[in-house]
Amino acid sequence: MTLSRRTFVDRAFKGSMLCLTFNLGGAALLLTPEEARAQGIPLQKLTEEQARQLGLLADAMVPGAAELGVVHFIDHQLNADPNEALLIAKYFGVALPYVNFYAKGLEVAAGMAQKATGKAIDALDAAETEQLVKSMFPPGTMVDDFPIFLFYMCLRSDAVDVVYGTPAGFEKLNIPYMQHILPPEGWNA
Amino acid sequence: MPKTLEAVEVVVVGTGATGSLVAAVLAEAGKNVLVLEGGHARKLTDLYSSQTWARRLKWAAPEVFGAGPDSIWFNFNAGHGYGGAAVHHYAVWPRFHEDDFHEKTQFGRSLDWPFEYSELRPYYDMVQKEVGMSGDAEKEIWRPAGDPYPLPPVLVSNHGKVLARGFEALGMHTSPIPMAILSQPYNGRPACIWDGWCDAGCPIGALANPLAVYLPRAEKAGAKLRPDAHVTRVLMDSTGKKATGVEYFSPAGESFIQPADKVVLCAFTVENARILLNSADAKNPNGVANSSGTLGQYLMCHPAVGINGLFDDDMQNFLGATGGQLLCQDAFGKTSDPGGAFGSRQWEIGLALKPNDLLGIAMSRPDIFGAELHGFMQDGAHHMGSMVGVCEDEALPENRIELSSEKDPFGYPLAKVVYKAGADGVKLWQTAAAEGVKIFQAAGAREAWHGPQGGQHIMGGTIMGADPAKSVLDSTGRAHDVPNLFVAGPGVFPSSSAANSTFTAKAMAMKSVRFMLGNWGA
Repeated sequence: MTLSRRTFVDRAFKGSMLCLTFNLGGAALLLTPEEARAQGIPLQKLTEEQARQLGLLADAMVPGAAELGVVHFIDHQLNADPNEALLIAKYFGVALPYVNFYAKGLEVAAGMAQKATGKAIDALDAAETEQLVKSMFPPGTMVDDFPIFLFYMCLRSDAVDVVYGTPAGFEKLNIPYMQHILPPEGWNA
Repeated sequence: MPKTLEAVEVVVVGTGATGSLVAAVLAEAGKNVLVLEGGHARKLTDLYSSQTWARRLKWAAPEVFGAGPDSIWFNFNAGHGYGGAAVHHYAVWPRFHEDDFHEKTQFGRSLDWPFEYSELRPYYDMVQKEVGMSGDAEKEIWRPAGDPYPLPPVLVSNHGKVLARGFEALGMHTSPIPMAILSQPYNGRPACIWDGWCDAGCPIGALANPLAVYLPRAEKAGAKLRPDAHVTRVLMDSTGKKATGVEYFSPAGESFIQPADKVVLCAFTVENARILLNSADAKNPNGVANSSGTLGQYLMCHPAVGINGLFDDDMQNFLGATGGQLLCQDAFGKTSDPGGAFGSRQWEIGLALKPNDLLGIAMSRPDIFGAELHGFMQDGAHHMGSMVGVCEDEALPENRIELSSEKDPFGYPLAKVVYKAGADGVKLWQTAAAEGVKIFQAAGAREAWHGPQGGQHIMGGTIMGADPAKSVLDSTGRAHDVPNLFVAGPGVFPSSSAANSTFTAKAMAMKSVRFMLGNWGA
């Protein structure tokens, strides 16, 4: 798909600046995570179950993140060269490859949900999901020798990135974006 | 078999704060200079305004493993690709103070530098003029002797003015923060527009990152830059006392030998030490430049605390520079801590805020989630104040860089960092955390809090010293053991001060390179 410069800039301001290159049937598509989700672009690293769980938890942390494509954003970045990756996991010294960290985090969170309610993550009601998220937070929390607190910090930040880290996010907060340069078309191809 | 390349006079490893400066000055003096960079090539126009995209400027691989109770936040503090960490640094450039240079002699703590402040002063003055620093030397009542700044101070928005109220109410001083950011056009570079994107890299060149100042100078003078060249070892001759060049690998795993008359390691604190440790051979079994056994030791990282608060004022916190607007060094005296902890502290006041990322509004209260977070974000975007306290970290031999049992793709051991913040540094941090909240309350905050202990600026590991038995480098940054091997960057510091490290690293690199040029045939 080819985007004109004007279309790209319009999209960047009205939608998201997280335009990433997704592959579908051998064609490279420049899409926002929100568009990738809406178009059902296949995930590269996450299973369907993982994607569902991730979306539910991220949305409980930052409402609106799922619709804005947080799952596609994370999945896309799990596929990237670590030095080019845009995930905050790199700041927290998460061991490579990051996909193992996200998979283990979801596994542990699912175990916490089972233990607390006897239900899978996607069977929790809103109050139960909120309680699960709350139980992940206290700094230093370890479950099954896994730093679930760190998983919370990363996933919450990923969700904040797609909701507030874009020109549209700044607009929601009524603050100016004042960009110098927007990411160019196909930059992350 | 590695491919042996044509020899050069100088091979510089790293394109960051010091590598770019060394390359520029040597090339302008007519030397044949090659600069090897482990990451990708990058231009100013690759620096996109986004805290999310900014993360590709930071380090992730080859991994640096943490071992010890505290983190040095390596990936956040380090960089990858042209410009290194200096591409995303915040350009807060206070000088080290006189006392920072003789802590062992005067206080019996940390380590002495092999020279006094007065010896480094001319190089601070030289660098600040070359890059165009902004500030007000007279209002920095704590500042050691030095030339006035060439440019007037950076912007002070309502954010800075409101927070200054708190300092004033408690009888404390503030001054414009000294920055390597242009408050006015300078030497063909434009002035800052105070948009707060410093962490994402400044593509207009108002912030003196290597892509804006020294790398263009280096290339113009004929230095060659070679990206994606991952240096693994310094190669030595049969005597074990002379460097003959370096070995490096391409991403595809091809190996090369780059012969050179002189080698200058500027690959940042951890990688410099790793390269030297990995260069061990029969004559240097513990690593090159390590006859003292101190290579890798005395790693330091400033304990830092973020203070945030909510005010009724319209803070304009989106304006300014990421590193702040004002400075306070009232607690810089080594024995000024009321609890008796040794070391200096400083405040960087009025950091420009963005909604997301490590220092963003959302991360200031990680406990808030769900619908409540949206309300907090609205409030914070208009009413949040922010500053950071930076504390000295004592040089301790047990804090160190070692080789891990894990290996990189080329078969060389990765780095392992063993680190625990010094007891006095932690006490200073505790004092700062309490004091910061008090300052915000005095400034009128309706709510104020501090964050957890973080780490800024990574120093030591390849320290300078007067005694070859107790240090890696001499007073010029030259290896005691290997006269044609130099190291530059904050890794050469024998003590950490509480001042940000980049300006001093650059001044020291300028001192080294001037020595090299003055003693070329020696």
